[in-house]
Amino acid sequence: MADLRPILLVEDNPRDLELTLAALAKCQLANEIITTRDGAEALDYVYARGDHAGRPAGDPAVILLDLKLPKIDGLEVLEKLKGDSNFRQIPVVMLTSSREERDLVQSYEQGVNAFVVKPVDFNAFFEAIESLGMFWAILNEPPPRSGPADGR
Amino acid sequence: MNALTPQGLNLDACAAEPIRIPGGVQPHGALAVIGDRGEILQASTNLSAFLGLPARPSSLAAIDPGGDLAGELLAWLAGDEAIFLRTVGLAGVAWQVSAHRGAQGAIVEFEAPPASEGETLEALYPRLRRFVTATEDAREVRAIAQAAVREVRALTGFNRVMLYSFDPEGVGTVVAEDGDGVLPSYLDLRFPASDIPAQARELYRLNRLRLIPDANYTPSPIEPALSPIDGRPLDLSDAALRSVSPIHLQYMRNMGTLSSMSISILVDGALWGLISGHSAQPHLVNPQVRTACDFLGQIVSLQIAARVRAQLAADHVAAKRTETALLSRLAPAQDFQTGLVQNPDLWLDLVHAQGAALVVAGVVSVVGQTPTVPEIELLTGWLKARSETVLATDSLASLWPPAEVFAPDASGVLAISISQLHPDYILWFRPEVVRTVTWSGDPTKPVTETGVLHPRKSFEAWKEQVRLRSLPWTEIETETAGEFRSAIQNFVLRRAEERAELTAELERSNKELEAFSYSISHDLRAPFRHIVGYAELLKTKEAALDDKSRHYIQTIVDAALTAGRLVDDLLAFSQLGRSQVTRAPVDMRKLADETRRALETATEGRSVRWEIGDLPAAFGDAGLLRQVMMNLVDNALKYTRPREEAVITIAGEDRGDMTAYWVRDNGVGFDMAYVGKLFGVFQRLHRIEDFEGTGIGLALSKRIIDRHHGTIEAYGKLGQGATLLFTLPKAPSKDDEGH
Repeated sequence: MADLRPILLVEDNPRDLELTLAALAKCQLANEIITTRDGAEALDYVYARGDHAGRPAGDPAVILLDLKLPKIDGLEVLEKLKGDSNFRQIPVVMLTSSREERDLVQSYEQGVNAFVVKPVDFNAFFEAIESLGMFWAILNEPPPRSGPADGR
Repeated sequence: MNALTPQGLNLDACAAEPIRIPGGVQPHGALAVIGDRGEILQASTNLSAFLGLPARPSSLAAIDPGGDLAGELLAWLAGDEAIFLRTVGLAGVAWQVSAHRGAQGAIVEFEAPPASEGETLEALYPRLRRFVTATEDAREVRAIAQAAVREVRALTGFNRVMLYSFDPEGVGTVVAEDGDGVLPSYLDLRFPASDIPAQARELYRLNRLRLIPDANYTPSPIEPALSPIDGRPLDLSDAALRSVSPIHLQYMRNMGTLSSMSISILVDGALWGLISGHSAQPHLVNPQVRTACDFLGQIVSLQIAARVRAQLAADHVAAKRTETALLSRLAPAQDFQTGLVQNPDLWLDLVHAQGAALVVAGVVSVVGQTPTVPEIELLTGWLKARSETVLATDSLASLWPPAEVFAPDASGVLAISISQLHPDYILWFRPEVVRTVTWSGDPTKPVTETGVLHPRKSFEAWKEQVRLRSLPWTEIETETAGEFRSAIQNFVLRRAEERAELTAELERSNKELEAFSYSISHDLRAPFRHIVGYAELLKTKEAALDDKSRHYIQTIVDAALTAGRLVDDLLAFSQLGRSQVTRAPVDMRKLADETRRALETATEGRSVRWEIGDLPAAFGDAGLLRQVMMNLVDNALKYTRPREEAVITIAGEDRGDMTAYWVRDNGVGFDMAYVGKLFGVFQRLHRIEDFEGTGIGLALSKRIIDRHHGTIEAYGKLGQGATLLFTLPKAPSKDDEGH
């Protein structure tokens, strides 16, 4: 089942992480939530390498990607994934702190699937996460893979 | 030159005279022209009589039979010495013989010996040495001149000896004089350039000493008149005995002087002046004394040249010093204009002017003796047409006739253009020179003599020559003005650079401030988000909280939310400063309807009457204008909350080159006394518990309208509603095509 694939959350701020997890929990998603704390670790997970070398097979159902990250920032992660035909199809939701950041990401035209500007109002944030999480994790069929990438 | 009558004398005729080839010599000596072998080619008719020979000699040998003369002269002729100078005894008389080479043969001149032993060069030598010592100690040109005229008079015994100096125009001034009272004093008198015609001046430069012992002499003609060598009249340029112009002789007689001698003073190869001796009666100066005088003339030339150069150097230093002093006064002044006007003495001293004017951006400031302001304005108009950077003239009227009107105050003008873009000038003025002259005699005394040429006449002629003329600007003064021009331009440039630097500095700090406020508000957002998030979590988790605890938590949430909104508004405000305004036609009616729909949900349960009129299309940034409309309507709804029925009017009109829009409400209004505070950031006119909000909405709206180059105003009365009106400029006219 596609809906059982995990959601990858990339967030460095522990409080934002906790609140986002709380919001996701409130949505009562069946998906497992994988958390990574920086861009490098996120890529390691997607590519199943480093600390995540032994992870279960399969791509995340959706990646919730913060823009500002240590080591490799959100834009770089996005660029890397969208430039790789194996992972281009993974939906990416950018979590941004302001409208300005959202404009910045859009100017890169990296094929972001959605944006969430983290609102101060927790309930609004919850609603945003809920709608996006539900939409991408459960309702979306994973797009068919292009090419024989499954030969690992 | 023939048929000379006093009435026929005029200065122009004088200038045309062939003075190098007069065809005769003065009879106080005799002259022979000899060929390479000593044969006599031409001779003055008085040669045989003068030397006491029985007949006209055919060769040097015939003049001095068995003597050394022929041998010595031919030996000199074969050598390379320029001048031959000997005392030759012929028949018991020690003749003074001199010779120089010419294209038509060697010219040999014979003169009588000195009357006494005291007049020989040997006897005069100690005097000359004393003179050299005396002039070396003299500091000023005038002192040297005074010593020179005294010495020349002592050497020659003339009644009066004067020293003239010439200015660049050729005007002569008597700067020193020594006399025994027989002849009148001419000290300080001026003589026009025409008194000594140009070709005479050139001859004086080449031939340093001239003597006319008797103005009533009869010339002794040269025979044959034409040279056998080239068939032309004999060139007597360098001959001491050269017969002079009859006009000059007439001039001497008119002056009451029957004898004269002049010695040229050359400075850097140019005729600087003349030492001139006169006697009322004929007076002969023998060749040895003349040689002494020539020597003295050369000493004076060298000494004056040294003083002139020293003076030049001193003038240079003085000019530099004045310029430095003036510039140092300009530096602290707010602009150079003020600096100049506040230091009139230095300004005038810079080029030794009597008046000065400054013309900047059409504004004329003057100091000292100047033309009137309207005259100066006309003058700068003329200068502008000439487009010269530096103009120096001692006779503006000769270049520009209208200047004659103010010639008494400003015959001389030195002008510098100080801007490459604008007709801005600094001008210096000098009055007509006639007003600045000093003299000892009374030059206006009427002429009573019948003679045409006379010093008084000369003075009149000089006055005519210097009419509408000032003292000339020296090279140093013109140079100084040019340097001052560069200094002023640098000064202006530096001020402009300083201003540009300041502007750049401001822009940079402005940008920094915006980046700072952005990053601060950006980072501030996260903690508020966390407060709200955790408070909400706590509220959900602890279902059993009592009402008070719930109230506390809710207050935490509300406070953090307010702070968060504040930060959001600030972000939007700072973002506006950095973002581009992209203008295009905007349908304002549609925008008003959208605003109404967007805000209607917030007015549920309230009675609101909307009156939306016809709104002309605007030209602006649709997104930003929506924000303005949203802010204004949101305000109107907020402040009408106490009303049973809120009436919100949105209207607009075309005002020609702009469009106007207003939002009117029947709300609580405001006191016009505080209207100025309405558009300030964080300015509030109501208590926060009455009407919520961050106090940034109107500030943001104003900033948006400002960036559109429009205006925004508010009108209101306490309790009687408010009207917020903004205007926007229309599109540039090309967008209006097709109407």
